[in-house]
Amino acid sequence: VNATYLAGDLRALRAAGLMSLRQIRRYPTNLLGTIFWPVLLPAAWVLMGQAYSGGGDPAALNAFASRSGTTGVTLFVFVGFLMYMWLSALLWGPGTALRQEQIRGSLEAVFLTPVSRLVPLFGPTLTNIVWIVLDLVVMGIAAWLLFGVVLPLQGVLLAFAITLVGVPAMYAMGALFGSGVLRFGEIGPAVQFTRGGLSMLCGITFPIAMLPNWAQATSLAMPPTYIVDGMRNALLRSASPADLVPAAASLIGLAIAFTVLAVVVFRWLEASARRSGMLGRY
Amino acid sequence: MDDFRAALAIARKDIRNVSRYRFVVASQIFTPLYQGVLPALLFGASFAVAGHVVGLEKTIGTTDLAGFIFLGGVMSGLVATAFWSMAMSIRNEMEAGTLEPTWLTPTSREAIVLGRALGGLFWFGFSQVAIFAIGIAFFGLRFRPEIVFALPALALAVVAMIGIAYLLAAVVLLIKEANFFIDCTNFLFGIATGAAFPVVLLPGLLQPFAFILPPTYAMDLIRQAGLGTRPLFDPALEYVALVVTTAIAYPVGLWAYRRADRRIRRLGTINQY
Repeated sequence: VNATYLAGDLRALRAAGLMSLRQIRRYPTNLLGTIFWPVLLPAAWVLMGQAYSGGGDPAALNAFASRSGTTGVTLFVFVGFLMYMWLSALLWGPGTALRQEQIRGSLEAVFLTPVSRLVPLFGPTLTNIVWIVLDLVVMGIAAWLLFGVVLPLQGVLLAFAITLVGVPAMYAMGALFGSGVLRFGEIGPAVQFTRGGLSMLCGITFPIAMLPNWAQATSLAMPPTYIVDGMRNALLRSASPADLVPAAASLIGLAIAFTVLAVVVFRWLEASARRSGMLGRY
Repeated sequence: MDDFRAALAIARKDIRNVSRYRFVVASQIFTPLYQGVLPALLFGASFAVAGHVVGLEKTIGTTDLAGFIFLGGVMSGLVATAFWSMAMSIRNEMEAGTLEPTWLTPTSREAIVLGRALGGLFWFGFSQVAIFAIGIAFFGLRFRPEIVFALPALALAVVAMIGIAYLLAAVVLLIKEANFFIDCTNFLFGIATGAAFPVVLLPGLLQPFAFILPPTYAMDLIRQAGLGTRPLFDPALEYVALVVTTAIAYPVGLWAYRRADRRIRRLGTINQY
């Protein structure tokens, strides 16, 4: 009986993934943002870097390298913003998937189906990888065309590999965040706050060495820190696959921890929402 | 006079609306801090040599990173107020279904945007005072006393941005679903005014665009007065350029807004969204 249920849940998970893929296809204008923001956001920060470094003053660049481990400001910024775009897609997409179901009035109906509650929590996250790959391609081309930075092939492959390893941890983090809908309803402002907080903590726009010690310690519990660092190691410091193993191991550990936490928190909040009737309220 | 009273009533209504959502009030202070000011400060500080941002001195003539970023935040905030509070609020009325009844009142259409401008400027002023207080208390933010000489430049920039808000409101009335348009143009406009980095670093093709925007000159004059940065042009010439571009932006914006109003009334699209 358990195997039958599991097979049914997997079919439902696939259906939820296909549904979110179809939604992406139905709104092609959303793709405009996929070109605009991944190009112009990091480009603005690269120009800020040029202002702060005096157009590449050696002393300023060396100071930056002593804190970030590289003088390649352009690629440093682009990799950071790749994570920023991923976080945006994750938090506004899967992170708010339950909320969107709630607003459309379909959350109660979905929860009445016999599939596992984890399906609506994790199902819509499956297509999130589409945005990450698109952003990776667009930003790689933008860094090359706008700033003449050519990405090394091995670095790109390793960056992609570390991204894939980081996907489960990121999904689990998004699911943990998304569970909050069952308790708080409107989580739009929380998305902004969480994205801003993670951007500050995980070395997205500046080196982590700039943070106070307590914040640096906190950043070690966040999956984006390892993904961004791994990608920068691959693209800027010519790291070998072996060099990325510790980051990959940390990401796998965090994926397990965040998944367990997301499931526990989700079950707890779901029970509370059923008792209080929160599912139908918004 | 009646229109001005109507504008004040709209402003009062907007201020009351926002004040009812305390989280929104708090986010007006903290969102610019954690999304713009703090990351930029830490990014800039990562280029510092022995505590001095020598690169910034080479670029604009001062090592005062905090002053550069916080004053940039003033212009970014003003631009965002014009784009979101003044122009995009028309869209919010559309979605709430209250645009048509508002349009039917005997108040002039110009007063509707002006009222939103006054309400938006109230919250802009409130958030800037709070952000500066945080800057002074925690980030060593200090200005030269000469910064008061930049107040006319700020006032002119406000007038210019109201003109630009009229222009944007015209676009919102015509295209209706304007979220992406406002989001993108707000970002591009803010960048082009030199709020985040000096406009001389913009690619050559974009620099002429930056120099036709009134806030570009206001930004430079404010930083020059408050921090002693190297000016783009002679300050007197910058004031002339600011006055001229403002004198063009306001009537052009108003003209476009009136044209859009006439068009939607002729086509009967005011109730469409």
